[in-house]
Amino acid sequence: MVRAHQGPVRSHLPLILLGAVMAAYGLLTALVGSWLAKQAMQGAITAGVYRSRLAAFDQTSSLVAGILFLALFIWCAVVSTGIVRVAFCFGALASLAPILAPWAEDLLFKSLGLPTMSAGSVLAGAVTTLLFALPLTILFILLACGRGVPTGCRWLALASIPVVLVTAFYPIYVTLLAFLIRPGDPAVGRMIEVSSQVLKLRFILPGLSFLFLALISMRFARKQPLADSQASAVLAEG
Amino acid sequence: MNPLSVKKHTYGMVLILFVSALFLAGCGGGAVETTPEGAVASGADADISEAAASTSDAFAHLNLDIPNVYDPPIDMSSVSTVNATVKFLEGDDIYNNVWTRAYEDLLGIKLSYKWVVDGSMYDQKLGLSINSGDIPDLFVVSPAQLLMYQEAGILADLTSVYEDEASANTRDILSQDPVALKAATIDGKLWGIPLTDASVNNASVLWIRQDWMDKLGIEPPTSMADVLEISRRFTEEDPDGNGAADTIGLAFDKSLMGSIAGLQGFFNGYHAYPGIWFERDGKLAYGSVQPEMRTALLDLQKMYADGQIDPEFGVKDINQVTETIAQGKVGMEFGVWWNPYHPLNLSQQNNPDAYWTAFPIPSVDETPAKSQYSSAIWSFLVMREGFEHPEALIRMVNFWTDNIVRSQDDSIRKTFLGDIENPDVVLYKYTPVVLWEPNGTIENSQKLRAALASHDPAGLNNDLSWRYRIIQAYFEQGIKEAWVEVATNGPNGAVPILESVLEDRGILNRFYGTPTPTMAVKLPTLQTMETEMITKIIMGDSIELFDQFVEDWYSLGGTEIVDEVNQWATDNP
Repeated sequence: MVRAHQGPVRSHLPLILLGAVMAAYGLLTALVGSWLAKQAMQGAITAGVYRSRLAAFDQTSSLVAGILFLALFIWCAVVSTGIVRVAFCFGALASLAPILAPWAEDLLFKSLGLPTMSAGSVLAGAVTTLLFALPLTILFILLACGRGVPTGCRWLALASIPVVLVTAFYPIYVTLLAFLIRPGDPAVGRMIEVSSQVLKLRFILPGLSFLFLALISMRFARKQPLADSQASAVLAEG
Repeated sequence: MNPLSVKKHTYGMVLILFVSALFLAGCGGGAVETTPEGAVASGADADISEAAASTSDAFAHLNLDIPNVYDPPIDMSSVSTVNATVKFLEGDDIYNNVWTRAYEDLLGIKLSYKWVVDGSMYDQKLGLSINSGDIPDLFVVSPAQLLMYQEAGILADLTSVYEDEASANTRDILSQDPVALKAATIDGKLWGIPLTDASVNNASVLWIRQDWMDKLGIEPPTSMADVLEISRRFTEEDPDGNGAADTIGLAFDKSLMGSIAGLQGFFNGYHAYPGIWFERDGKLAYGSVQPEMRTALLDLQKMYADGQIDPEFGVKDINQVTETIAQGKVGMEFGVWWNPYHPLNLSQQNNPDAYWTAFPIPSVDETPAKSQYSSAIWSFLVMREGFEHPEALIRMVNFWTDNIVRSQDDSIRKTFLGDIENPDVVLYKYTPVVLWEPNGTIENSQKLRAALASHDPAGLNNDLSWRYRIIQAYFEQGIKEAWVEVATNGPNGAVPILESVLEDRGILNRFYGTPTPTMAVKLPTLQTMETEMITKIIMGDSIELFDQFVEDWYSLGGTEIVDEVNQWATDNP
């Protein structure tokens, strides 16, 4: 197990695992989604088969991913203190998003009876995105604000905020443009293409953020004198 | 190593990676499309403003093919319709617009309108005008008017000018519909240019709620027996999951036949072809009185008795059926390829998961079923007898077929058809010379599917490019509302089914053109009898009612109509 020399975070392992699992989940969903989309667009499978297979994959993978995220966020919180612990507690809320994603439409429109406004999948996607992006945004804001957090981690956390927000909300913004505000606009058509790529990064980039946070934190911790507990504290509020 | 330098190195690396990842994400997709559409889009406004200026320079930037130009220009009078929904660019009207300017500047034809009325008043106004001797040089007529005015001797014979002037594109488009030129031919001579459209577009396909099929584990239907079984399960197994027995298997309205929720597709599955004429034993026969209707009617009767059909279908019009579809209570309907645009899209109002899939009409037996369809030739462009330049019509048609309807040039399409950014202004409504390509829907869909298969939209025009993006949004972003485009133009969609209809899975109404004398007088009554008979049998009356209907149909004028239609077929081989 990789250990910080000293401080409220006793181990980087949960952070590394969290980043790796999140990035791997993002990569896996992007690959499977692309593979199924390619087959469907080539006519090798029908839209019905595409939907069935994608739904089957999503229901399993997102449940597993969500549970893993939750466990790892909690582990991160356990091995940290102060504002960092608070940050990871907020982050844990984001793990609900993949768990709820396959059921979001049923919950919103059948259980709660909200109107779909002929954009049910967009609304459901927006809600689950919000559920994922907002806790992560708060997490990164807290890390960026933590005075005891190493400077490099704070800058990275700050950079991660727009990354999370853009990857989360750009596809929704484009969808609203495409279907409600400016349908048929060629410029929006090109944005759909970009949006398809950005969407694939929704989990990958935050996952990489956590991995790089762990990397910077570990390198920072190794370079600090053991006597300087304040400087060697990793991802911790002083 | 200095810790600070390590930190700087690491931070820099991390930030560069992030920025690079975002940049690649942003650029990855955009790079697929090589067309500089930004330039085209910005040029669109310029196109419109230029078109608004009445100078030949307005068209100088367009790559147009116009071999023959009148010099000096000729005058041509016409008449037109403008409905309240028609919008013009600022400064334009029906008398002065991009089309009148193009005809004058590019073809040397000064087109003026003697009068312009609402579409509902056209036939009456044209009749008055012609009766008073004020005959326009160019005008549009219905099949019945074509026959009437040809017999009155006021139409110019276009046979020779068509042979001399028609371009290859014009000939190709008019030959795509096998009855187009025939419908404009009387006594072996061509009296009008048919305004073509895609006849195959009104061929029936079977639409089924795919999400219900998935939920109940139902395989796609391969026979009419499967259709009946799907209908039963949709009715009995609560596919909408609300615990109430409130779903129906098959929807149709009181008119029974139509483009939305019509029954002709159902009958086609039994090799019955209501309302059309087809060849049987060497003669043309009327489909509604053939014995194949019986089996279909009996199955419909059973479906009704089992609650698979709306018990109030006999009083519900298409708007009410549309409402039932919107409520998510309908599992199947026989309609046409564009039904997902309306009304099937409405079923997503209450359930984002709702979507429909098109299937070819299944057969009741081993013989493949054929979808019936009729010619889409409803009107003709004609010239006044005595007009000095009847070939001008052919040149106007050539201008359309050579430069506009097949053009993939967005500048041309925006100039003459309309701009997608200004959808209320439909420019082609200002000209009477509008011939849609009969195979256009299919050819466009083929281009779109090829682009999807190669994941490369380069080369698609703006319209097809947009459809590509919508299908992409469905498959790559999970936007379920985009299913409409997938279900119609996408791979395994409805349009590919039309290709098979054109090949060997369709049956074209063999009678087209003007109603025969007896048909004009008696067919409306016979059609009312037919609708009543079908409705009564479905609702439980004896099938012997069908036999009685057949007997009555022949005795009340059907025999004469059959004779006249077969005589017409002999005269119009």
